[in-house]
Amino acid sequence: MSYRALQLCSSGGAYEALPDRPVQLDLADVRGRAERAGRKVVDARVMLILPGEPEVTLTRGGKIVVKTRDAEAAQRSFQAMISLIESPTSPG
Amino acid sequence: MTKGIVLMSGGIDSPVAADMVLSRGHDLVAVHMDNRPFTDETPLEKVRDHLQLLEARHGRRLPLYVLPHGKTQVTLMRNTDRHVGCILCRRFMWRSAEKMAEREGASFLVTGEALGQVASQTLSNMRSATVAVRLPIVRPLIGFDKHEIEARAKELGTYAVSTRPGLCCQAVPDRPATRSRLLQIQGEEEKIDVDRILEEVVRHAELL
Repeated sequence: MSYRALQLCSSGGAYEALPDRPVQLDLADVRGRAERAGRKVVDARVMLILPGEPEVTLTRGGKIVVKTRDAEAAQRSFQAMISLIESPTSPG
Repeated sequence: MTKGIVLMSGGIDSPVAADMVLSRGHDLVAVHMDNRPFTDETPLEKVRDHLQLLEARHGRRLPLYVLPHGKTQVTLMRNTDRHVGCILCRRFMWRSAEKMAEREGASFLVTGEALGQVASQTLSNMRSATVAVRLPIVRPLIGFDKHEIEARAKELGTYAVSTRPGLCCQAVPDRPATRSRLLQIQGEEEKIDVDRILEEVVRHAELL
């Protein structure tokens, strides 16, 4: 799954990235992986919020929002989220 | 003069609306619906700075209640039609403000809404939201356009605060409804326990 470049959002309070092509993620699946990786997850059905420093939001349409103005921290969290999305689902 | 409750978001409009009501001599108590985790801490910081500017301008204290709204948003997202999420959200804001009015002995509510400015501010959606409460809602900016509001905000000094970097509400759907039918809205609310949610919100109200 490929993404457009991570960039500061229009209101300047966070970094965000959109997938290159339209997607519909299985958020329940991503949530399961995140929780198995020890992450706390707020599941709002149409989006997941992963609290932390920084907090990260993932929508069903694949949009990733990293709530920081620090570009390097945003990039790290973005990559971590991509890994979660792309990691294979473990059996049962 | 009477006392009102003003909903303050940290945006450009609400401090201008508050200033107009204060200028008429009424007292105001501010209510901020804290939307975290669908936003960050910046809206609350902006509201506090707006109130400081208004307090200095009008020479009186403006108490601020902060009410948790994030959990309500999660409940709405999980259980109701996303398309009308902004209207349902707005109805909870009004009900919360009305509860604070009861606590404060206030007799009206104030908002910075301007007709047609965003999806929740069409006539049909404002009606669907407004009927959730009994108190009158004062909308000093209803006929203003964005440029007029911004010009007033610049005069007040609140514009620079409102436009500082911050995070927009992440709970806004991609395609929010611009028209709504009250029956549909009420049907959506039947899927959740409105009274229990409201009770919890009000119980966690924090006076700053």
